[in-house]
Amino acid sequence: MLKVTNLEAGYGGSIVLHGVSLEVRDGEAVVLLGPNGHGKTTLLRTISGLIRPSAGRIEFDGKVLSDMSPAEIVAAGVVHIPQGDLPFPELTVLENLLMGAYLPDAWKQRKQKLEQVYELFPVLRERSNQLARTLSGGERRMLALGRGLMSNAKLLMVDEPSLGLAPFLIEEVYRKIRDINKSGLSVLLADENADHIAGFADRVYLLEMGSIVSEGTAEEMLKNEALLAAYLG
Amino acid sequence: MEKLIQAIYGGIVYGSIFGMMALGLTLIWGALRMLNLAHGSLYLVGTYIAWALVTLLKVPMVPALLIAALGTAVVGFGMQTLFLNRILGKPGWDVGSLIVGVGVGMALDQSILLIFGPRVKQMPPLIPGVYKIGRVVINYNFLVVVAVAVISLVLLSIFLSKSRHGLAIQAVSQQPDAAQLMGIPTRTVFLIVMCISAALAGLAGALLSTVYQVQRESGANAMLMALVVTIFGGLGSVKGTIWAAYLIGLLQSFLMVYLGAGTALPGVFLFMMIMLVIRPSGLFGLGEAQRL
Repeated sequence: MLKVTNLEAGYGGSIVLHGVSLEVRDGEAVVLLGPNGHGKTTLLRTISGLIRPSAGRIEFDGKVLSDMSPAEIVAAGVVHIPQGDLPFPELTVLENLLMGAYLPDAWKQRKQKLEQVYELFPVLRERSNQLARTLSGGERRMLALGRGLMSNAKLLMVDEPSLGLAPFLIEEVYRKIRDINKSGLSVLLADENADHIAGFADRVYLLEMGSIVSEGTAEEMLKNEALLAAYLG
Repeated sequence: MEKLIQAIYGGIVYGSIFGMMALGLTLIWGALRMLNLAHGSLYLVGTYIAWALVTLLKVPMVPALLIAALGTAVVGFGMQTLFLNRILGKPGWDVGSLIVGVGVGMALDQSILLIFGPRVKQMPPLIPGVYKIGRVVINYNFLVVVAVAVISLVLLSIFLSKSRHGLAIQAVSQQPDAAQLMGIPTRTVFLIVMCISAALAGLAGALLSTVYQVQRESGANAMLMALVVTIFGGLGSVKGTIWAAYLIGLLQSFLMVYLGAGTALPGVFLFMMIMLVIRPSGLFGLGEAQRL
């Protein structure tokens, strides 16, 4: 489904990713582990077209994403839930969600999609006419996920969904993402600790200093505590 | 009583026109974070297109207004595609966009001078005739100007808050990164905003050409008032801009009627300074002006 080969990318002159290769298969939940500042966000931003790669190749369902604009990449079905949620603060929750269905194909189905999102996140239905900037941290995270689901996504990329949330909310957010994955959407999730791999991830990649240093199934990774401890502390 | 009616009436007329001009400025600020210094020149383009159509080509008023708005939108389109797109998203956008504004503005002003010459020109009114309330003279032409301005402001507000593309403009203004991740093509949105903004300026210019004499200095005046209104309302805020337009319009009109025409501009500026001391981000401004 998603295939990243020898990807090199960065900001301005400085290279952050040094030949990263990874793969997400149909229906899989893949976790990208790595400490802060080692390139997880850069990798996701490069896949979604916000950063141009300087070398390497990104393919999705046979299409080459590395030449496409962010809009074309969304249209192809790769949708990125950014770190920090980035809601449209002065739009209502409903308007935020509608913007998730901006592209024409998704726009035509916005009513059904809205129902699905409201079903998954009932709190968004309650808040639908509130401005996004008035939401709590947990609600904002739900809104970011819901907004991503309004598109015709085949692969959802989620960047650190636990960031800045209280522990009980973190559990809920991961449960929701697991449900989304179970419903058939592939998920690529970036995280900085291994707490949520068990029961969630099919496979795990370990990213350090802009390179993949280890990969394996969730079971293999969890057995190798020494490795995880060494990289993630 | 007559003075009061005169003042309110004048305020609504000024406010409507300020609103059209200022809304264009504020839309561009919201989406592109650019102060479009060519806005007054775009107003002038609208004025002269309307004048040329009506007096030289004998085109009827209504199509002339529409063509003036469209023609100015085309100039805005050119400004965006030829110049602004080249520096968009690159370092130095703040200063670069200001310079583009000044440059395009000068080029437009001087082209108008070359084509139409320095002579002051006169447009016929949209609808001739007056209505009298006591000694207050209500000009039918002014009423039409107000109606057209209000209708276009209302239509634009509905477009921005209800339609897919209008919401996308707001989304890009508030959070451009997230907008891109939703598949919103930001450059296309910028182009749409520039065309709408230019069309508004052109329409305002065309409308006002039926009220004032057609002359080259009117662009700078219109730009100045639009700037006062946008700063007052909070740059980037549509709601604030519309409120501020009518507030400033009424203020100016009341000063003119009660204290004399000479006090209007100084009074407006004094008011703006006091306002900025009390509320530096404007009437509805939200700090870094995120609202649109």
